[in-house]
Amino acid sequence: SRNFFSKRSKDLKSPAASAPGWKLFGKVPPRENSQKDCKIIQQEYEARTGRTCKVPTQSTRRKKYEIEPLSTTALILEDRPANLPAKSVHETLRHRQEYDEMVAEAKKREVKEAQRRKKLMKERFKQEENIASAMVIWNSEILPNWDAMRNTRKVRDLWWQGLPPSVRGKVWSLAIGNELNITPELYEIFLSRAKERWKSFSETTSENESEDAGVSLADREASLELIKLDISRTFPSLYIFQKGGPYHDLLHSVLGAYTCYRPDVGYVQGMSFIAAVLILNLEEADAFIAFANLLNKPCQLAFFRVDHSMMLKYFAAFEVFFEENLPKLFLHFNSYSLTPDLYLIDWIFTLYSKSLPLDLACRVWDVFCRDGEEFLFRTALGILRLYEDILLQMDFIHIAQFLTKLPEDITSEKLFSCIAAIQMQNSNKKWTQVFTSLMKDYKEGDKNSPASKT
Amino acid sequence: MAKQYDVLFRLLLIGDSGVGKTCLLCRFTDNEFHPSHISTIGVDFKMKTIDVDGIKVRIQIWDTAGQERYQTITKQYYRRAQGIFLVYDITSERSYQHIMKWASDVDEYAPDGVQKILIGNKADEEHKRQVGKHQGMKLAEEYGMDFYETSACTNYNIKESFTRLTELVLMAHRKELDGLRLASNDELNLAELEEDGRKADGTANSKSCWC
Repeated sequence: SRNFFSKRSKDLKSPAASAPGWKLFGKVPPRENSQKDCKIIQQEYEARTGRTCKVPTQSTRRKKYEIEPLSTTALILEDRPANLPAKSVHETLRHRQEYDEMVAEAKKREVKEAQRRKKLMKERFKQEENIASAMVIWNSEILPNWDAMRNTRKVRDLWWQGLPPSVRGKVWSLAIGNELNITPELYEIFLSRAKERWKSFSETTSENESEDAGVSLADREASLELIKLDISRTFPSLYIFQKGGPYHDLLHSVLGAYTCYRPDVGYVQGMSFIAAVLILNLEEADAFIAFANLLNKPCQLAFFRVDHSMMLKYFAAFEVFFEENLPKLFLHFNSYSLTPDLYLIDWIFTLYSKSLPLDLACRVWDVFCRDGEEFLFRTALGILRLYEDILLQMDFIHIAQFLTKLPEDITSEKLFSCIAAIQMQNSNKKWTQVFTSLMKDYKEGDKNSPASKT
Repeated sequence: MAKQYDVLFRLLLIGDSGVGKTCLLCRFTDNEFHPSHISTIGVDFKMKTIDVDGIKVRIQIWDTAGQERYQTITKQYYRRAQGIFLVYDITSERSYQHIMKWASDVDEYAPDGVQKILIGNKADEEHKRQVGKHQGMKLAEEYGMDFYETSACTNYNIKESFTRLTELVLMAHRKELDGLRLASNDELNLAELEEDGRKADGTANSKSCWC
């Protein structure tokens, strides 16, 4: 499915990418490029007429030196070589007409392309203007009056549009808060503790590895090694977190300090993505503070501790809204026993930073900071809604593959309009109410029969 | 219309984090190798249709996250598999030691007839080797499994090991397959047959019983 998309977008791009080739019509192509241009024009000509030229490439190449045509496309206007029967008047006329049509078509295409480019530029310009004006509002109006304004209609609307990158980190920090009262000094303390541990770890490993040095030490080592391994596997395409990259040490520090700060949670795969996104938007100590507080939210704590029964409650609540919003797709998934854990785990653990393009993931984070955990599940439903028609045509494995590797060309406009269309209301009950009642059922069921854990 | 496959079943890849499960899979399904893969969170999926003795077999492969913390989740998937790869890294003694734990989890959570195969990956990194080939063979023998040393990097023994596990699953389900040959229009959907009866409609085309 991924292939399908990337291929299609490539196909769409190809006429635009080869557009400059059309400019050569009727003119003498620059000598040094002539061979390449020949090929392009030949291909385009074949694609357009639906015929394949039977002349083998070698003879075309030879011809080039013999007759030196004005342009390859204009070859159609040439008389045939002397050893072949001459063209009839009718045929000559037809060739002239075909040639004119080709030139006209090419010109039309050029104009269209220019228009498209202009529109794109205009949109981009407008977007930049919007960001600039939003930035002014955030900086001069909202941030100085944060507590009073954060829940106003105006701010919430502006927030939904996406935060300007320059204030993003600041707003995230404020919205996540610091319930844990972590100070930059505290971060330094945990960081130095982590550094000590790394040092002692590298010393002990050189002695004797296989010998049993106590389970907890082995576990700690495993966790430290896993951090190292995962850092190199965090946004590998950005080349900034990998060894030697500018943010490698930072990511290592934040994750290491966290495992010292919260040994009860420790390092869990998926965390490196969250820390990386925060590092991209915040200073080191602020990133750590946001990271620790974010992971302390009930939903994140349940997932990163892999509290399975709690996770099942979240999935159950999600399914309530899934059925409500997308009943057809819900049934389709059920018929294949395609449970939400198969795709939600990845999405929730990494807060979409692994599954969505990074800029889009940041926009999801923006509203997640505004609305809380509910928005993570709403985003999931938005994704399902966006691809509902495609998913309805797929069987189990294709859906599973599709959802664990979403198309790269997903755009924020489309996704956010789908998210907006998702109603987080179920018979007048909101997400928190549905979730709480599920939790209550669970606790009561637990009292009645202690073995009823699913 | 020609049917796309005769038999459908699920294989599962398990083993410590970083032993190369995702790399093995990518090499097998797409013939690609990326040295720095993104880490797997939860479970990823791939699919490939291969021909074994004239039978078109579609395999769904579930690629699981290796970290211990995730095992609470991934263990839930064992029961849905017909074949399991237990993967360690020949350059990591620890990953080899952990095979014992992985194997006992399989015993506990996977269905009885599940087929298993032991894989020692990264065979190309001879200079970093910590686990001898004989150790792998010995362990496999203990558990009554087949054993392959593989390299996703150099494409060594990848196709062989996937084909072997596929054959093992086919052999274990020979009776049902013979039934399939009689009614050749049907597809045998092992994956769905072994689902836990939660399905809403039309389970599988084959009527045979799986107990």
